[in-house]
Amino acid sequence: MAKVAQRGLIKAQELYEHRQTRAKELAKKGKKVIGYFCSYTPVEIFTALDLVPFRIQGKVGKPVEQAGQYLESIVCPYVRSCFDIALGGELDFLSGVVIPHTCDAMHRLYDIWKYHLKPPYSYSLYVPHMTHQASFDFFQKEIENLKTGLEQFVGRSASEQDLIKAIGLHNRSRALLKELYELRKPEPPLISGSEIIQVLVAGMTIPIEEFNELLEDILVEVHSRNPSAENKPRLLISGSEVDDDSLIRLVEECGADVVMDDLCTGSRFFWHDVDPSKEAIAGLAERYLKITCPRTYRPGKAAQRFNYLGDFIREWKAQGVILYTIRFCDTYQLDAPEMMDYIQSLGLPVLFLEDTYITSPLGQWKTRVEAFLETIEARRE
Amino acid sequence: MAEETKTEPKQKTSSAKSTESAGKIRQIVKRMYKKAQQAKEENRKIAYCMVMCNYEEILEAMDVVQVYTENYAGLCAVKREAEQYMKKAQAVGYSDVLCGYAQVGIGFDAWRHELGAMPPDAPDGGMPEPDMLLGCSMGCDPRWKWYQALGRYKDTPIYNMEVLMPPSDADFDAIRAYYVRYMAEELRGLIAFLEKQTGKKMDYDRLTSIVKQVEETRQWWRKAYELRKAIPCPMSTQDHFVIFVPHHMLLTDPMTLDFYKGLYQELKERVDNEIGVIDDEKYRLLWGVGIPPWHSMYILDYFQSFGAVFAAETAYMIPEPFEMPYDITDPVELIALRAFERNSAIQRRGKEAGGVPPLAQAHLERIKDFTIDGVVMHITRSCRAATMGQILVRNVIRDYYPRLPVMFMESDIVDVETYSEAETKNQIDTFMEMVDVYRKSHR
Ligand code: SF4
Ligand code: SF4
Repeated sequence: MAKVAQRGLIKAQELYEHRQTRAKELAKKGKKVIGYFCSYTPVEIFTALDLVPFRIQGKVGKPVEQAGQYLESIVCPYVRSCFDIALGGELDFLSGVVIPHTCDAMHRLYDIWKYHLKPPYSYSLYVPHMTHQASFDFFQKEIENLKTGLEQFVGRSASEQDLIKAIGLHNRSRALLKELYELRKPEPPLISGSEIIQVLVAGMTIPIEEFNELLEDILVEVHSRNPSAENKPRLLISGSEVDDDSLIRLVEECGADVVMDDLCTGSRFFWHDVDPSKEAIAGLAERYLKITCPRTYRPGKAAQRFNYLGDFIREWKAQGVILYTIRFCDTYQLDAPEMMDYIQSLGLPVLFLEDTYITSPLGQWKTRVEAFLETIEARRE
Repeated sequence: MAEETKTEPKQKTSSAKSTESAGKIRQIVKRMYKKAQQAKEENRKIAYCMVMCNYEEILEAMDVVQVYTENYAGLCAVKREAEQYMKKAQAVGYSDVLCGYAQVGIGFDAWRHELGAMPPDAPDGGMPEPDMLLGCSMGCDPRWKWYQALGRYKDTPIYNMEVLMPPSDADFDAIRAYYVRYMAEELRGLIAFLEKQTGKKMDYDRLTSIVKQVEETRQWWRKAYELRKAIPCPMSTQDHFVIFVPHHMLLTDPMTLDFYKGLYQELKERVDNEIGVIDDEKYRLLWGVGIPPWHSMYILDYFQSFGAVFAAETAYMIPEPFEMPYDITDPVELIALRAFERNSAIQRRGKEAGGVPPLAQAHLERIKDFTIDGVVMHITRSCRAATMGQILVRNVIRDYYPRLPVMFMESDIVDVETYSEAETKNQIDTFMEMVDVYRKSHR
């Protein structure tokens, strides 16, 4: 049993370390793989058309080689990193790319990507910034357009039934991930924060059916663990794109448990289901606009806007929060101070980290993380 | 921005050939802030606004006084008074690379909140306390997130509104209906919000006549702008960065219509008499995308010392022309359609030209129409929105005009610390040599 159960996490780690392997294999077999960015791309549409969704990610700590000739140095370094990888030819196996207009960097990346990389298929999906009723109606139209464009590209169409089936698969995946996140609640958590990142990142590079199988294996494996309590400080990490486990690993090596997240590559990616009782596209529009990311305007004061974070903190019994932002990211930077106010109002300490991504400042962060953990320890005493 | 730089410039040369119209702006700006402060005293409703959100006419029709916060930040930068506000914003937790305008604006309001009064010696008397905050999604994220962030210091009601920018390769005819519908709904939401805040009802007839007046204003500005194609060029970019003010901030004021009529007359006279910005116009430059270095505008005059005039620019552009359809009588529908047509015009032309990215298309058009010999772009550390894509533009220009010199100047829109005069001048020296070579071989 133990042997069988070990399989899942090791496989996730392999996929995490070799992120393109499976997608390339499938591309070789004739499957079309579509690259996409951000948690706002409704990948159910890809699945419904038998396309493999592949989330484009950067490489933390890897200096850009060619991107400097195409992207200004003050551009979001995560975006620069992704583009550099694409310029290097590593993403040539993709049949197309969908770049949602979410933040300024993504919006502008589209034209640059298209002009220089000339993908066979590309789509810029306008994701409304507002959440008025009209925003949802508009977003439905945009998603329909995305679907039509993809249908023309592949030469077949997706019926309502196909969409419903795809939604079912992705909802299943979300349910499994939520179950996995439940296992972060015990003291000590049954799965570490860095393992979680590996699982999620791995899942973003393979077809959803394969991910669901993987998650089922992982759940069995993690359920069977029986760690003894070490009473480490419990942390939540909130921020944007953490597609590398090194930061969370560093925090965990410094002696904390990262038990919950509010990340683009974490809970934000899967937290909400698509309501199956709705017409498919309407359900998708509603689901994706519900994502709690600073790029979408949600009215109200900090206490209202960030209350979901308060719920996470309470339910996962977090004792401190790491607020992670990427330098040159206006949307996060404009929310960060209020987020800090909010978290502090709950009585928790916050560590604010601004990442340069390409030249990872991990070394300098170690001391800050250690000092932060000491603060928490002192409070706990 | 409509200002004289507080310190410097010893080497200022442009004013002699500057237009009379541009000379009027300083007083107009002073009056604008004074009026806003008076309006506050008279308990009229004040709104913090962003330029080019398509709501100017609606606000005017509802008698809401408009205060443009981005431009107040620009004003502070021109007067070299921005730093104190930026430092304040950083002290209360905002990143030093956050949009510079937002840093100034948030710093200003954080400080006002702390003092319970206007920050001391605020340029032009300061921005009056707003009764509402009206952000919009067009252009960049800070243009609505900044107002959301002010929630930390104020309970002022907010209406953030979507203004759509269609993707460059869209099927414009296919998306028009739902893009216009969304925009119109956003505008109706704004009207409902304003009716609630002001207790007044929208007067749609008045709105219609304001929309018409604005269109006329723009036509005059556009006619004046076209005159800059003349050789020698009758007005420079230095003046453009001053004369855009009435359009962007006092669009609905009847004075503005007269101002652009006057500008047209003035430039027409110059063109008819072959009066240029400089006596011996040797080179014609394009100020490419990028908000100018408000803190050191006199550097543009340095180009002039080589005999170069900035004949056109792609920053603070005049909105694209719009034919008002006679069958649409609802002014809200009209504004929504206008926003769509305008915000997709360059995209459409770029697409027709075989997939030229819209930002680059705007440059290619001006290079051709204004007989340009070189392009200068401004990479600004704290404004990603107007910076990202500049290299793309350069790359596209290279594809179409392989030898046309392009220079990147680097500093910031507000932060003077980022700017090195000596380095910039060296760069300009080299650039002008290349421009000379280009001109000789191409004109
Ligand atoms: S980190 Fe910020 S700027 Fe970069 S892609 Fe994400 S939201 Fe956009
Ligand atoms: S366009 Fe640039 S300067 Fe203006 S608000 Fe946006 S980021 Fe700031």
